[in-house]
Amino acid sequence: MDILTGSLVAGLLIGMVFALVALGLTIIFGMMDIVNFAHGEFLMIGMYTALIVAQTTGIDPLAAIPAAAVVGFVLGISCYYGFVKYLLRGPMVAQLLGTFGLMLLLRNLALLFFGSADRTIHSGILVNRAFDIGMGIIIPATKLAAAVLAVLSFAGTWLLMNRTRLGRAMRATALNRQGARYMGIPTERMNALAWGIGGATVTVAGALLVNFWSVTPFVGLLFTMIAFAIVAMGGFGSIPGAFFAGLLVGLITEFPGFWDFTAYITGSSWMAGISMTQFKYTGVYLAYFLIMIVRPRGLFGWKS
Amino acid sequence: MEILKKIFDFSGSPRYGLFATGIAGLAFLLFPILPHSSFSMSTIIQFFMFSLYAMGWNTIGGFGGQVDLGQAQFLGIGAYTTAVMMIRWNTPFWVSLPVGMSLAVAWSFVIGYPLFRLRGHYFAIASIAASLVLKDIFDAWSFVGASRGLEIPTTRYSSPDFLHLIFTQDIYYYYVIFVFFLLGFFFINWFRRSRLAFQLRAIKSNEEAAGSLGINPRWAKIKTYAIATAFVSTVGSFHACYIKNIETDDTMGLDISIMIALMAMLGGMGSLWGPIIGAGILIPLKIYIKEWLGARAGLVGLDLVIYAAIIMFISALEPRGIWGIVEKVRRRKLA
Repeated sequence: MDILTGSLVAGLLIGMVFALVALGLTIIFGMMDIVNFAHGEFLMIGMYTALIVAQTTGIDPLAAIPAAAVVGFVLGISCYYGFVKYLLRGPMVAQLLGTFGLMLLLRNLALLFFGSADRTIHSGILVNRAFDIGMGIIIPATKLAAAVLAVLSFAGTWLLMNRTRLGRAMRATALNRQGARYMGIPTERMNALAWGIGGATVTVAGALLVNFWSVTPFVGLLFTMIAFAIVAMGGFGSIPGAFFAGLLVGLITEFPGFWDFTAYITGSSWMAGISMTQFKYTGVYLAYFLIMIVRPRGLFGWKS
Repeated sequence: MEILKKIFDFSGSPRYGLFATGIAGLAFLLFPILPHSSFSMSTIIQFFMFSLYAMGWNTIGGFGGQVDLGQAQFLGIGAYTTAVMMIRWNTPFWVSLPVGMSLAVAWSFVIGYPLFRLRGHYFAIASIAASLVLKDIFDAWSFVGASRGLEIPTTRYSSPDFLHLIFTQDIYYYYVIFVFFLLGFFFINWFRRSRLAFQLRAIKSNEEAAGSLGINPRWAKIKTYAIATAFVSTVGSFHACYIKNIETDDTMGLDISIMIALMAMLGGMGSLWGPIIGAGILIPLKIYIKEWLGARAGLVGLDLVIYAAIIMFISALEPRGIWGIVEKVRRRKLA
């Protein structure tokens, strides 16, 4: 029983962080129909920012979140004005490959500056603390803090998009660019802002992960694919969709636990014989493929 | 005879272009006889391989406008079929090549049928997902060596073994892939004027209108996907014999799929020459930058930084590729 609840809790907690990772991607896609391959590299940069701030100043990595947010915002805005603006004029294939180029650039710059070694940090005040909530479930404090802060950041962004004038202007741009421009909304600046917010949310997610996820320059691609999966499942451009799909993807990454539980309950030896741990992310890709095929709009999508 | 005439029909190209092509073809034919370094030899072999991949991609991506970013899975199927058959049953290359091709084409039908319900970004992303699922399965499947990969034992064969395509000298590989390259080139020259290619162009410009004119867009795309797959898996089988050491990361990774698409885009999509030009520029560039910078201590990654910057420049400034520039100049001359 504890395997089941343990997997459920772990899946939901990491799912909340995954949702924050995907939030920026879904905002950017909703605004300008561009798929950003470099999204995971933004996360990697957020992780390095938190790591370096924490190591040089000696503070907890979670306290470095504002620094990561600023770095992500500036990075997003400068990527937009320096590169993506020109990309948007071209055909779709150029956009896909262009953001792939951005991903290669960021990844290899990180490789050049930080080297390829795995880096971890264990100086955080929450490291090695855990809550035992009974039934054999132990929640590591770092993961709980990451999940709570991720939900708070997510809610903050949702409020910004849905309860402010600025957010309304951005949503208007996403719905109808030309109409928004006629109403006096500076759509170009809204695009840049979407990249800024997208960058800031994903670097914050990176800073949240640093306590329990080791950092290398190559960490980005996995998160890009996870974010694609979440965005596709939740519906391209849908913010609530990203949240629920994030939780779903979190649960899917924990499915080896459910597999073991089923094997234990049914007592089937062939199920227990197969280790599913190596297929952790295959499940995510498979679910994402199936949802794209069955319902391309995604579960909560409004763009057809 | 009619079909032969069509294959060798270059009437659309200007005479000086044909002349230059003839010279280039002759230079490639004589290259191994002339003095050269083994490094430049392997670069040209890579160039031939990647232009064939890009030619295959160009049928679906260039003529049909369907941006597929999962071609590496078919490369992997071809390479693994040849390697597994050679290691386990000592099967000749010329037998495992069609087997691998059939498997790859069969798989392309399986995933192509649902995939081609999607368009645009949705298609591109779903094709990545399909490719990643297959890669993860190959990474875990012990029959194909799991994550350790496979290695073809060369000691079993005495070089030159034309039946199994195992050579110790690159010159044999050079001529084998050169023949493949010429076959592929003439096939595309026929293909670009075939009924299917015209259907694809119609689908690319307006799928609804094409459908209303009696074209079945989904079926046309699936057929073209099979052609692209056949190209890629053929060279994948060659890759197995040439490299001899196969791992999923080198054959089925996302990087390979994207590089294939990138070459076709850089050269110019939907043209005969685009993929060849693209591979001719990107492959030497990548290999030589890596040779100059890659090995130096403290500069790990700089070669790919430069490479990435070039990709970004091209996609932002000249997304129609080099063939697009050539056509623009030619049209201006005519006007």
